[in-house]
Amino acid sequence: MKKQRRTGSRLLMGLVFTFLYAPILLLIIFSFNAGESNTVWHGFSLHWYRELFHNRIIMESVYTTLLVSVLSTIIATVIGTFAAIGLYSLRRRLRSSLLTVNNIPMMNADIVTGVSLCLFFAAFFQGWRAFARWFNGVQDVLELPLRLTLGFTTLLIAHLVFNIPYVILNVAPKLRQMDKNLVDAAQDLGCTWMQAFRKVILPEIKPGIVSGALIAFTMSIDDFVISYFTAGSATSTLAMTIYGMTKKRITPEINAISTLLFVTVLVLLLVNNVREARQERQDQRRTAPRPASAPVKSVRNHRSLKRFGALAAAAALLVGLVALGGSTRSQRVVNVCSWGEYIDTELIDIFEERTGIRVNYQTAESNEAMYSLLMSGGGDYDVITPSDYMIAQLIEEDMLAELNYDNIPNFAKIGEQFKNLPYDPENKYTVPYAWGTVGIIYDRNKLAEEPASWSVLYDDANAGDVLLINNSRDAYGIALKHLGYSVNTINEDEIRKAHQLVADAMSRGVFQGKVMDEVFQKMEGGNAAIATYYAGDYLSMVDNQADYVDLGFVVPEEGSNWFVDAMCVLKDTPHMSEAEEWINFMASTEASLRNMDYIWYASPNTEALEQYPTYYEELYEEPLDQEVYEIMAAPAEVLERCEMYVSLPPRIRTLYKDLWITLGI
Amino acid sequence: MKSKLSGFAVPYVVWMALVVVIPILIMAVYSVTTADFDLTGDNFTRMGDYVSVFTRSFNLAIIATLVCLLIGYPMAYLMAKEGPGFQRVAMALIMLPMWMNFLLRTYSWMSILENNGLLNRLFARIGLIDLVNTIGLALAADPSQYVPITHFQMIGTSGAVVLGMVYNYLPFMILPIYSVIVKLDHSLLEAARDLGSSNVTVFRRVILPLSLPGVLSGVTMVFVPSVSTFAISRLLGGGTHMMLGDLIEQQFLGGAYDPHLGAAISMVMMVIVVVCMVVMNHFGEGEEQAVML
Repeated sequence: MKKQRRTGSRLLMGLVFTFLYAPILLLIIFSFNAGESNTVWHGFSLHWYRELFHNRIIMESVYTTLLVSVLSTIIATVIGTFAAIGLYSLRRRLRSSLLTVNNIPMMNADIVTGVSLCLFFAAFFQGWRAFARWFNGVQDVLELPLRLTLGFTTLLIAHLVFNIPYVILNVAPKLRQMDKNLVDAAQDLGCTWMQAFRKVILPEIKPGIVSGALIAFTMSIDDFVISYFTAGSATSTLAMTIYGMTKKRITPEINAISTLLFVTVLVLLLVNNVREARQERQDQRRTAPRPASAPVKSVRNHRSLKRFGALAAAAALLVGLVALGGSTRSQRVVNVCSWGEYIDTELIDIFEERTGIRVNYQTAESNEAMYSLLMSGGGDYDVITPSDYMIAQLIEEDMLAELNYDNIPNFAKIGEQFKNLPYDPENKYTVPYAWGTVGIIYDRNKLAEEPASWSVLYDDANAGDVLLINNSRDAYGIALKHLGYSVNTINEDEIRKAHQLVADAMSRGVFQGKVMDEVFQKMEGGNAAIATYYAGDYLSMVDNQADYVDLGFVVPEEGSNWFVDAMCVLKDTPHMSEAEEWINFMASTEASLRNMDYIWYASPNTEALEQYPTYYEELYEEPLDQEVYEIMAAPAEVLERCEMYVSLPPRIRTLYKDLWITLGI
Repeated sequence: MKSKLSGFAVPYVVWMALVVVIPILIMAVYSVTTADFDLTGDNFTRMGDYVSVFTRSFNLAIIATLVCLLIGYPMAYLMAKEGPGFQRVAMALIMLPMWMNFLLRTYSWMSILENNGLLNRLFARIGLIDLVNTIGLALAADPSQYVPITHFQMIGTSGAVVLGMVYNYLPFMILPIYSVIVKLDHSLLEAARDLGSSNVTVFRRVILPLSLPGVLSGVTMVFVPSVSTFAISRLLGGGTHMMLGDLIEQQFLGGAYDPHLGAAISMVMMVIVVVCMVVMNHFGEGEEQAVML
């Protein structure tokens, strides 16, 4: 009977552990997959581990994660210990109210802490800007930077904010248990207070300090939300990188790094467990009477040696981390922000090699998300690549710098039809990067015929199989087109009707989800039948589609949006010349050709556009399919049906925003 | 001597004022102002539009907390009854996933739950989907109208979101309960048994009341992150199950830049957490000794 219950309880525990570990095990198994899929096994390979060490973005974020965790743990442990001692020598009343404040960051939901710090930093940056402007005005010895952004420093501060309380919380009980008279006694016997601290207090509270440091480190490693709000765009922890990737394609390198992390932690835990078990056994033995006092000393020596070893290891790790970071930082830098899957990353290497300028390449999810990041002080960008309507808005709000086109000779190669467009009528701020159309991407295996109209998006027949594009401008633009209105309408009724069309479909469960770059993995893996996205991205999906998927693309008869994404430079950037060099490089025919071949978006560079079919044929030794070329660079008869977005007045923008946010609820 | 030691507190008090109190004050200011910093109550009244987000967040978080409790309590209880060696290993196994970032674990669930993911492939392979279709066809009033299913919809449902929460926060429920139960005074249990209580009565009258502080702290530690999550709902809920966290994130770094509304929602969330804490403290008699490890 008893034994039966035991197996029952073991079974239950086994189930819970299976639940906890099955997903992790899957991650590990698929890290050895030869193919790119996370669900279909293609054979064993170590390919992704090799790739991992060449993936700069992942390696840098691992480095940032470790550095911020180690640094914040060390600093928080020191500050926290002293603060706890200080707090414990205060009067009880004062102490307990201060401890309440201390608990705030632990109690609050992470997102609230993150948001409040984000606002705090933004306010500080604004104050700084005013100060720097005044300071630079009154003297010219020292030039202070005008634009501060979120970055590693703010990330570290944020981690300290939530780490210190954990240290205090762990040290405090030990202080409470300590006999207060001990310190007085030590001083009476002639200790200075420093000696009293080192010889009396510290040994008493050491277990608290150690467990506090351990928890602080765990919290730092596991944190995502607070980092997300305080690290800005240029600094990225591993968690943030993964979050960014889950939006488009997650490369199996992530599986590889998780496996490595998991194994490291597992080994550490095992070592620790074995040591603890041995210690316990030793302690049991020690309770037996000990004949001489000599071995005690040797044990102590051994301990201090071990402690020294741990300290040395920690110091070495820190030095190594800092050195690693230092070696990767060069003098000239340009921070570029663009969209996911929107550049052939080898171009970055080529540019860096030729100019010695380091490129911090970052991606944003949508025009609106990029704008939010800029406004909250998180966007550490020099060059951005927004779309037409967003450029107009940024110019309107005086956020862009005028370019010196003498430094961008390749601007001459941009086709005339892409210059002086409505968003930048005098072409003072922009150099076009790519253009294309929005259309329907569908899986031929799931849809009997090519959809002629946008109506398939709102049709119950496709319930649960449609992906709604996750930005208000495109989603409502499509609905407006379907209803026969202009995408740029400022008639509130028309916009509300478009919203109703989308909202009704949503409440009927037509949409599987709202996606931006998640569309890649969804469509390529055959997880949805219909999506709306950009022509270039469709072509890159076809390149990557699973063998049971057959994707098609169409610009429906009602017409659609055609867009231009252009490179521009933010005002007050400290890297103006680097930014212009980058823009000039990306506008060159050579870069445009390579880029077109990789991202499948048409270039505005006339030479590149004309040469591309030949380029393709030389590279792949087969002619370029005319149909593919026309999807990429839409011919005139398609463009005739399409409209370009223009910037909407603030009143309409607010309406878009308000309507959009009610969609998900 | 005392005054010297208390001097250590001064820098930290300044630090707290700067990075804990002032940020919250700034957030409070944002929550009651417009974009031009004129005083307004609009941010709070506008929240009326989002009642459904609030209710959804609370519903899902409460369900997740209950499920965690239902799994976590027996788990902690059974663990505490095992030998010390087993306990140590089990503790390590529960802590271990926490050192891999929670996004990695959530991401793994995505590939399991997708329409074309591992589970659906498994179901198709063992013939479950065909079986459902056969039964569906047989039961359908009009067989010609019956649309056969090709997969079970799991990703993008609220069930998936709850699953993600339970999966990620279950350790936060197990650990505090376990650490309370394992410290229970065994002489109390023996005394109860000696006085003639059955095992069930011992559990109900002694163990359960004494482990309540652990339960309360576990409930808070699961409920607070669940109600405020945004990554889990985004990854597993497909973005159509907007929760409070998503709503706040949208206002700051997402598609709808409005930090004032975001700050107001954050304020409400903070008040909710404080209320939770006060209620918990009222039951749990102050001391928060059950916090992990």
